[in-house]
Amino acid sequence: MTLRSELATLAGRSSYWFLHNFMGGGSSLPGKITTTIDPNVLKELGKNYDVIIVSGTNGKTLTTALIVQVLKEKYDRIVTNKTGSNMVQGITSTFLEAHRPEKGQKGIAVLEVDEANVKPIVQQIKPKMFVLTNIFRDQLDRYGEIYTTYQKILDGIKLAPDAVVLANGDEPIFHSKELPNPQVYYGFENQPATGDIKAAANTDGILCPVCQHLLHYHYIIYANLGDYFCPNCGFQRPDLRFKVTEVSERTPKASKFAIDGHQYEIGVGGTYNIYNALAAYAVGREVGLQADQIRHAFDNNQRLFGRQEEINVAGKDVSIILVKNPVGTNQVIDLLATEPEPFSFVGLLNAEYADGIDTSWIWDGEFERLPKMDIKRFETGGKRYKDITFRLKVAGVPNDQHTIQPDLGQVIEDIKQMPTKKVYILATYTAMMEMRARLMKQGYIKGGK
Amino acid sequence: MTMNIRVAHLYGDLMNTYGDIGNILTLRYYAQQIGVEVTDQIISLEDDFRADDFDFAVFGGGQDFEQMVVAKDLPNKKAEIIKFIEQNKPLIAVCGGYQMLGKYYVDASGRKLPGISAMNHYTEQQHENRFIGDIEIQNEVTGQKYHGFENHQGITFLGDDEHALGNVLKGYGNNGEDHTEGAVHKNTIGTYFHGPIMARNGNFSIHMMFEALQNKYPDYDFTDLKTKVKPESY
Repeated sequence: MTLRSELATLAGRSSYWFLHNFMGGGSSLPGKITTTIDPNVLKELGKNYDVIIVSGTNGKTLTTALIVQVLKEKYDRIVTNKTGSNMVQGITSTFLEAHRPEKGQKGIAVLEVDEANVKPIVQQIKPKMFVLTNIFRDQLDRYGEIYTTYQKILDGIKLAPDAVVLANGDEPIFHSKELPNPQVYYGFENQPATGDIKAAANTDGILCPVCQHLLHYHYIIYANLGDYFCPNCGFQRPDLRFKVTEVSERTPKASKFAIDGHQYEIGVGGTYNIYNALAAYAVGREVGLQADQIRHAFDNNQRLFGRQEEINVAGKDVSIILVKNPVGTNQVIDLLATEPEPFSFVGLLNAEYADGIDTSWIWDGEFERLPKMDIKRFETGGKRYKDITFRLKVAGVPNDQHTIQPDLGQVIEDIKQMPTKKVYILATYTAMMEMRARLMKQGYIKGGK
Repeated sequence: MTMNIRVAHLYGDLMNTYGDIGNILTLRYYAQQIGVEVTDQIISLEDDFRADDFDFAVFGGGQDFEQMVVAKDLPNKKAEIIKFIEQNKPLIAVCGGYQMLGKYYVDASGRKLPGISAMNHYTEQQHENRFIGDIEIQNEVTGQKYHGFENHQGITFLGDDEHALGNVLKGYGNNGEDHTEGAVHKNTIGTYFHGPIMARNGNFSIHMMFEALQNKYPDYDFTDLKTKVKPESY
């Protein structure tokens, strides 16, 4: 270790220790201090670890958490950035607070990495594996389009040509560029490959990367994910090594499915979470775990799903779900469609930097499905309540079932009066954080973040 | 008599990056209030576009890759798009769609690509800068104000036979220099207002809806119906 790295590490560890013990914080400041003293400190910090990098636009946090859960079946200590600080400084902090591996031994680290930070991290740490979830349109005011987003990840992958790329095979973009790396694909093979359909109108990423004709599909799982093929040039989905072979039950709280013929259950709804579980399964199998061990890991996953927890508010079962882009929103709407009981719907829209400052994306969400569900009460709020209110009106939500409530404090009061026991809140990031803070203040959410 | 408006969503599966479909949903919302039916159809790469089959068209914005593919296909539809425009039928062209209706545009990688010259504006590129944020404009003819969101690297300059959609009150507009935003030629509107310009501006939607109806049903007196629909905005 160079003197500079040593000093940097010392400063970082001390500041982490101080912040952690006296200030109750410390997720990226120690990283900032350390990287200011030595910009290349990650090279030293990461060299004694086998590193798995998880990236993509959606599902990074949960996929990372599930991979960690699975790998616990084999490794005692796993370094991970579970607070979601997924840029260089946050990851530096993650290593600073970790226990160092014993001399001569290698630790293992599973890191969620922001798309634009893959390259700067791989410049310093050579990972063993990249896990790629998907590339959806997400907050275009920050990262640009899907192709440039993928290119940012590729720029990092190119620096580690020996690392295995474990990618979602149902996502056409992950099969669009030649890579020197060993590649392994996972996906859904739960339907006969006999259909011939096209993706819905609002779907991104549906052009053949070879000949630029529209892709067709034998079947679609959601958005542009599925068993795709190009009728013009023969480009098609790669062979899958790990497959969801059956989906037997879906509710907002659970999914039952089979991977490679083995039955699994996870305590969270949404097809996107089956993809997350599949990615974690694939990593588990790649490191030599057996199907039973992975099932054991999934059975212990109940606490991982913080973004979809149920909160008891004066007798109502309230779920707050983060939404931020059309594909995610459509998946959440799809999840609501699996709710067997009548419920109330609250939509909270903000347009701060962390939410994405352009609200245009709400028009690509399939809110037209909501009036067809058994929803007894609609309420819209947040700083951009007018935008989401008009969106629901256009979607066909009747005025006499629809309350407009800009004040989030009053939203909580209104929820207590809603005619159903179940209430689903769809909220953008800052609206979700504000709701959670208010609910915590009122004692409905205890401790933690 | 049941009236209807048939909408062509030009390359709606490739050029719909910023909620452009909101324009069609909003048109339907207002049309329902006066008993007018709205149908819509995507016209994409492998489809023919026939001007006579439609009364209204939306041509949205796309990502660079999709826009490049669409630009290659567009000459196949050029004659019918120009015919549609010259028949005074309303067409809303947003961002990339706006650029491609003009004489030429320079894309993000610096390539100069021909448009279909249905309108006379042209588009250059700024160097490593984007115009991002809320925008508000005032239309000189009607006095109406419109607001929206812009996010574009291209800078567009107006040509002959077209005038701006509005003067910029807040934001950047066409090029950040001449305080104009958008272009109007007959009933065709090109604009950098993201996607749902009609959703955000009820006055604009209703105006365009009646332009389409008057154009399609020239003998019908719409005075009464015009009192029955109220603009909403956000």
